[in-house]
Formats: sequence, C-alpha cells, structure tokens
Amino acid sequence: MLKYILQRIVAAFFTFLVIVVVVFFVLHSMPGDIIDFSPKLDPNVRQMIINKYHLDDPLIVQFGYTMSDYLHFDFGYSLKVRPGVPVFQVVLERLPVTIQLNYLAALVILPFGLFFGITMAIKKNTVYDHVASSIVILLISVPSFVLAALMQYFLAYKLEWFPLILSAEDHLTWTKFYSMILPILALSFGGIASIARTLRAELAEVLTMDFMLLAKAKGFTYRQAITRHALRNSCVPLASTFLYLFLGVLSSSLVIEQIFGVPGLSKTLLASINGKDHWLTMGIVIFYVFIGLFMAILADLSYGIVDPRIRMGGKKND
Amino acid sequence: MTDNRTICLENGDPLGEDLLSMTPEQLKLVEREEKITDVEFKTEAVSYGKDVWRRFVRSKVTIVSLVIILLIILMGIIGPYLSPHDYLEQNLALKNMPPRVQGLEKLGILDGSQVIEIQEGELENYADCIIENLGTFEVKSAFGTGTMVRLKINLYEYNGIGDEYFWFGTDALGRDLFSRLWQGTRVSLLLAFSVVMINLTIGLIVGAICGYYGGWVDMLIQRLMDVVWNIPSLPLTILLIMLFGSGILPLVLVFCLTGWMGTANGVRMQFYRYKNREYVLASRTMGSSDARTMARHILPNAVGTIITQCALSVPNVVFQEAGLSYLGLGVQAPNPSIGMLLSDGQKALLDYPFMIVAPGVVIVLLMLAFNLMGNGLRDAFNPTLRE
Repeated sequence: MLKYILQRIVAAFFTFLVIVVVVFFVLHSMPGDIIDFSPKLDPNVRQMIINKYHLDDPLIVQFGYTMSDYLHFDFGYSLKVRPGVPVFQVVLERLPVTIQLNYLAALVILPFGLFFGITMAIKKNTVYDHVASSIVILLISVPSFVLAALMQYFLAYKLEWFPLILSAEDHLTWTKFYSMILPILALSFGGIASIARTLRAELAEVLTMDFMLLAKAKGFTYRQAITRHALRNSCVPLASTFLYLFLGVLSSSLVIEQIFGVPGLSKTLLASINGKDHWLTMGIVIFYVFIGLFMAILADLSYGIVDPRIRMGGKKND
Repeated sequence: MTDNRTICLENGDPLGEDLLSMTPEQLKLVEREEKITDVEFKTEAVSYGKDVWRRFVRSKVTIVSLVIILLIILMGIIGPYLSPHDYLEQNLALKNMPPRVQGLEKLGILDGSQVIEIQEGELENYADCIIENLGTFEVKSAFGTGTMVRLKINLYEYNGIGDEYFWFGTDALGRDLFSRLWQGTRVSLLLAFSVVMINLTIGLIVGAICGYYGGWVDMLIQRLMDVVWNIPSLPLTILLIMLFGSGILPLVLVFCLTGWMGTANGVRMQFYRYKNREYVLASRTMGSSDARTMARHILPNAVGTIITQCALSVPNVVFQEAGLSYLGLGVQAPNPSIGMLLSDGQKALLDYPFMIVAPGVVIVLLMLAFNLMGNGLRDAFNPTLRE
C-alpha cells in the first residue's frame, strides 16, 4: 500500500514539474513586454527592472532563476494586478471567498445529489423517476450562466428576494452568506443533476445483482441492504466525482464569479493573464495544479478504500 | 452395427437410447435433392445499420431532438438572410429597440413597446406614439417638485420607423438581434462541428494505433494524457487564446489541442477490448492487413460509442465557447456567437432583459437536443446499456 502511494506521489511530482515547465514557457513566450507601465518611464528604472527580473537573459536562464526561487518557497511579487504584494499573499487573500462559495456549493450538491440519485434508482420507472429524470436532463442542459442570469433577473431584480451581487464584506457574515445564496444555487444545480444521474444508473444496476438477493435472504431489511451493500458498490465511479467536485467547481465558477461580481481567485487569474502579471499567473496556476494533483491522488486512494478489489488489481505482486 | 462403441454423433457424444433402439423401418436416408432446414426464416435479414436506425426512430424524444437540431442548423444557414437587416448593420439611433413581431403586436405582446418616465411638460412630444398612460407621480429634486408621467410608448413609432420590425429587437449598437442570433448560431455550430470533426479524425487515428499496437507509442501518449489532464483546463485555455489571439480559427486550435485526447482514449479502450477477439485473429490468420482488420472487424464494434461521444461533445464545445465569451475571450468582436450574445445580454440584463432571452433559449434547446439525441444514439447502438 505504502509503495503504491509513493509511486503515485512520485508520478504526480513529475507531472507537476512538466506542467510548471509548460506553463512557464507558454506564459513567457506570449507577445508583449512585461514592463509597459508608461512611455515616460525613466530608462534607468526600466533597466533596473530588467536587471532585477533578468529579462535580458535567455528564457532558459530565467526559468532557472524562477525555479530556484520556487525551491525557496519564494513565489515573487505581483507586478500589476496588486503591485508590490507577494504572490503568496494575493492567493491567500483571494482564496477564502472562492473556497467559501465552492465548498458551500459542494455542501448543497452532495446531499441533494445523493438523495435524488438514490430515490430515483429505488423508485425506478415510476412517475417520480420519470419526472426527476426529465428535470435532471434539463438541469444538465441549461448552462449555469443562463441559470444565473435567470435567477439574477427574477429572484434578485424583480422580486428583490436576494441581493444582485455579492456583498463586499471580508468575513463570512449573515448578510454575505445571504448574498451568496444565488451564486451557490447557480453553481450547484449542474452538480446535483450529474451526481443524481450517475448514481441512479449505477445503483439501478447494482440493485439487480445476486448479492442483493443474498443480503435480503440473510434477513437484512431493505434499508440495511441498500446502505451496506448497494451504495458502497455504486459509489466506486462516484468517488472521484465527489473529490473533483471540490476542484471542478473551482474552475467552472469563473463565469459565475464574473456575473455576481465575486472578487475570487479566478477573477484575479484572468486579470493577471490580461495584464501579463506573469509571476501572479504562475503562482495561481501552480496552486490550481497542486490542488488538482492532490485531489487525483486522493481519488485514486479512495477507490482502494471504497472497493478493495481495485487496490489488489493495482499491484502486481505482493 | 454391433460394435456401437465407435458409433457416435458428430460432436463426440455417444448415441442416445432412442437412436440405438431404432428399428430399420424407421430409418430413412436423406435424399440429395431434399432441402435440409430446421425452421424456415420468415423475416428478412436486418443489417446492423438498419437495426440501429429502427431503434433510433422508435423513441419519440430522440426524433423530436433530431428535428430541433435540424431546425436550428437550418436557421443557422438561412436565418441571417430572413431578416431585412444585416447582422453587422449598425444604427445608433435605433439602439436597444424592444422586439416587435407582425401579428403578435395586435395581441399586446412583442409590440415594440417600452415604459418610460417623462416630465409632464414633454407630453406632446410623445403624442403620436402613446399606447397607454400609466398615471402620474411626484418627484422631489433639487429644483423643486415636479410631476412625472409614466408612459407606455411604441418605440418604433417614436423613432419614426412605424413600418419596421425587429423580431428580436436590437442591441446596444442598433444591430438586428434576429440576424445576429442566427449568424451567432452558425458561428457556434461551425466551431463545434469543426472541433468535433478534427478531434474525431486525430483521436481515431491515434486511439487506433495506441489500442491496436500498444508498445512505446501507447506508453508515451498515455503519459502525455496524464500530464495534460492534470493541467487545469481554464488557465491553459486562457493562456493559449492569449497566445494565438481570439477568433474562430484560434478557438478551434485551442479546443482541439487537448480535445482529441478524450476521443483517442475512448477509441483506444474500444480497440484494446476487441483486438484479442477470435474473429480478429481469424481475419489476421487469413492474411488481411492490419488496416483492413482494424477497419472491417474492430472499428464497427466501436463505432456506436464513438458516434455517441461525438454527439455529446458538440454542445460541450458550444458551452465552453459561451463561457469564454463571458470572459471576453470568445469569437472576435463584430462576429457574433451564441456565447457572445449571451454575455452582451447579461450586461444589459436589468434594463433590456429581452436581449438574453433568444440566445438563452437557443443554447438551452441546443444542449437539451444534443444530450437527448446522444442518449438516444447510445441506446440505439447498444441496447444492452439501456437502463
């Protein structure tokens, strides 16, 4: 087991390296000057900046400098989006609102997705199942930004039930939470629908298996049989979905953040790419990649926990 | 006949009791001219394609979605020419006009009306275009109290174009939204179909090679996919668009750069699954080339999955392009796309909500129809998968 985890971590580390290299070179081969503050900029100052960031050196040398900085956990400073602020600090500042939004959305998605998936599978081919399935297909097909626009217009503007955009408070207060309801809803409908659909298909298949009959024959109640045997088996394909939920929403929320005026991490990312704030872009991308790889490893491990057969299959001999 | 140890049936089973105790009178030899059949087939043989088609048309939902898709494609082709206004024709005097449709305007909907608030003294300016007077109200300002009138006016009459009709209204630059919507649909669909076609071609070739031959090429491409899939797609897409510039061609390039891997992986799995089947071995034993074996014996097994995957990835591309448009990274400016119209509509949502309705409806219909048709295709190609 330990060997397997180590293998995964080493593989993830190499993936990480490759991605950092790719992103660095794509970023630095983008057209345009990093320093374009003003035409009145003193040439001496310009030269100083060039010297400081080694902009005269070949790309490969610059890459070396950047990497040696990263090894000391120095992610540099933001140049334009937040001039003079360390990249690490920018990420830390922007992160809370993005995390709050996404994890609250995940908290909505999980119970509802599980509930609808399970009930749809149990009541398969009933009126309830047909209605719920149609709603699920509808929710998967309606893009989250159309849904967001609809809710923003009707619930927030016409009925004035919710604020139009996110409140600008720093901490998670009641008013802020109240203004977060619409973006959370916009983020969660798609997730609920896709989890419900997958779970329904999986569970409906597992329910017809022989071991379900055995469980019934052993004297389990229906509820026990479902929770102990059926759910565990149907969760294997969902294990990664649950984990990627926490990551996937992270990147899909950009448009929602834009619509509701959320000062989140992805908005900063967009601004930094637009403004050629390379160090900030690198910092945020590295952060995303790190979380992504971490989640991928967790997903692999969770397969083994949910379904021990996969763990045995993963190893060749021992 | 006495030595019955050597007498047995073709498959090696000993003869049954009923055959051994058969009297010579019962034995009748099969005549050469006689036709030997078990049961005569009453139905004619059905080919695979015909079978799939029959299952496909059986579902009403699938047929409806196919019709919707065809209608949208048709409108994407002829739509921009139906309206007398070109999709690029700007007229700032006629900006933000609400929709007005012949016939329907008599019912009081889509009649090009707008509610405005004016000072009481200006009332005669609007004399000839008032539909309804919604009453007066008092307003206190620094200049004292004034009486305001809320009017529902026909904006078309007011602008002196009483005989013109903008079916879906106009945008902030006075461009006809009807032409723009269908031109946008055309652009979005063109983008989606070309991306899917390119992905399919590359994915099919690479997937077939990886799945059939395996070896170091397979290893290399698998590792490449591992790396690319772990790059968060959004920053990568944004970076590439920044690098290539925005526009239809760069967008196709960006979507294809990583998109073919999904198709390749699907094809690879299918090829890997079927390459060790006995009929594949038989085909190779009979001396057919690798290409022929793949095309004639393995690919037909995988074709259902591949087509379904393609049908499901068309709305995905439209969706992704729309998302990018919201961030200002979509198709280039004068050329509309569904996403561009949506994001323009989003900006004017609170004042002119009609702008987002038509593109919103079209994108929802597109996604819905393609998803449902994809499900229908999957069921038609592989009925065992049906829940």
